[in-house]
Amino acid sequence: MNAPRPRLSALAIAVGIVLADSSIVVLALPEIYRQLDTSVAGVTWVLVSFNLVMALAAVPAAHLARRIGPGRAAAIGLAIFAGAGLACGLAAELNTLIAARCVQALGGAIAVTAVLELLPATVGSERRAVAVWAAAGATGAALGPAVGGILTELVSWQSIFLIQAPIAIAAGVPVLAVARHEAATGIIATELRPTGRPHLLANLALALASAAIAAALFLLVLLLIEGWRLTPIGAAIVVSVMPLAALLGARIGPRAGSERARAAAGSILVAGGLGGLALLPKAEVALTVPPQLLIGIGLSLVLSALTETALAGRAPQAIHGGWTISARHAGVAVGLILLTPLFTAQIADQRRDAIDAGTAVVLDSRVQPLLKLELAQKLEDRLEGEQGKVPTIGPAFEPLPEDPEDREDVLTLRDELQDQLDRAATHAFSPSFGLGALLGLLALIPIGLARRIDL
Amino acid sequence: MNTSLRGQLLIGVALAASLLLVGVYLAAGGSSYTPAKTQDPCKERQWRDPGGLQELAEQFSLSALDGAACELGVSRERLARALATPEARERFLERQRIDDEELVRAVRAGLLRAVDDAERAGALNPVLADPLRSTLRRIPPEQAIELIQNAEDLLDSLQGLFGPAQGLLEQFFG
Repeated sequence: MNAPRPRLSALAIAVGIVLADSSIVVLALPEIYRQLDTSVAGVTWVLVSFNLVMALAAVPAAHLARRIGPGRAAAIGLAIFAGAGLACGLAAELNTLIAARCVQALGGAIAVTAVLELLPATVGSERRAVAVWAAAGATGAALGPAVGGILTELVSWQSIFLIQAPIAIAAGVPVLAVARHEAATGIIATELRPTGRPHLLANLALALASAAIAAALFLLVLLLIEGWRLTPIGAAIVVSVMPLAALLGARIGPRAGSERARAAAGSILVAGGLGGLALLPKAEVALTVPPQLLIGIGLSLVLSALTETALAGRAPQAIHGGWTISARHAGVAVGLILLTPLFTAQIADQRRDAIDAGTAVVLDSRVQPLLKLELAQKLEDRLEGEQGKVPTIGPAFEPLPEDPEDREDVLTLRDELQDQLDRAATHAFSPSFGLGALLGLLALIPIGLARRIDL
Repeated sequence: MNTSLRGQLLIGVALAASLLLVGVYLAAGGSSYTPAKTQDPCKERQWRDPGGLQELAEQFSLSALDGAACELGVSRERLARALATPEARERFLERQRIDDEELVRAVRAGLLRAVDDAERAGALNPVLADPLRSTLRRIPPEQAIELIQNAEDLLDSLQGLFGPAQGLLEQFFG
């Protein structure tokens, strides 16, 4: 009990790794989608199931932590989380993976809420404990996709889960000392104070803001990998702008005004960033950077301000922490459930429009009719071969004609076709990004309604 | 600076940054970055200056596609893909709830429109236009069906339309 620094790191890592799990798998979804031979809607449940169980289990898990002791609860939670992570990594079919994700979320909910009970004794005050807990969670959630993308490309999607097991166990080692102390003495360190009502407006705003942030992460990754055909590691590098901006937001946040002002400014920035993504004027990776900067700074401001608000002056911390976890993950799950049918329908519509536009480009091109016939056949083969995904059309144009005039005509046709595909892939995500922006703006309503949201 | 003022400033900066981003992206064409819309096949399409017989035949085929698509109330692009293979044609007939006969009628109307378009564009001598129309009107249904069935390469119907059209044009120009 006398080693607060390693324990603080361990507790922060435990919170970070569990909350990273709600988004870490985002960049691996296209790979899981291909390997487990499922649908876009099906693979979304790898994310939805985790967030749904976290939302449902967080408050009961907090009660459990208070009954059996936070040390024991955190150790048990981390053990379940690690074991289920191994099962996720070894899953050979989607249903097994989703079931293991549910168990993982259960363990994660127990661990995260118990850690909030352990932190005040480690850092010296409840207020600082809440700040550490909220910051660790926001950092984990923001870093998740980038880490997941790197692991997916360098190793495999399974490695995302397999690597979590030793990290969770390592984070659990300092917690075991507390658990042993609780077991030996029979003393549960937490004071069994009566549970007050949760801060409804702050939690509602947290749910709406989380839904918007989930939309940003999930859709941007799908756009980069499935729409613009970036590799997972390429997409990971691109979306790492968001956690970097979140770090900036974490630095300016505490000095920038009241919790209410930070929450409102954060929601506006998230909505503005999503609005920018909904209105991308070209399929250029660089154009995603300004919206990501706004979203990253915004998510840091809004998540920390609302979490601190929801917990301020409320006891017991674990229960109210449980409510914030529940609100955040319910928001993510509802956001994904709302967005999935919208963007899958849009992808189908845009694919149809792209095929029409592409057909028109081929029919009207100046390419010689006989060459056109050959190209049309090759393009048709590529469309068939990609089974509904955005095709890479470059190979259909190889080898290029030797005649300079024909060559120029073919290259013009290739560029025009690629432009139509890019337009369709980008536009397919616009309404979903727009809905995400709306969710971010809706978060302003409970923030504005809270009569005394300031600490 | 007090907390309240800092908060107002933060909200103001957030609002300004968001509006600026959305405004810049809108001004750069963010709302119109969509795939090109297909043209109404019933509207006349400008003929390119045909450089030779092959190009003329191609323009003729495209006009015929427009005309047939207009008759059927579908886009030229959809009809072109529908005529690519027998399977695609079957699916098209099923979805449009029409039979081969109606399709042939539409294709024949399309071919006649192509003659009109070629004549209007000055690509076909008016003296030759009428005999060509008579020939096209006399194409028996079986031959029209065969013509469509043979169209397997260029986005469904191009080859099928292109071949006989070229033959006819060669007859008149050759």
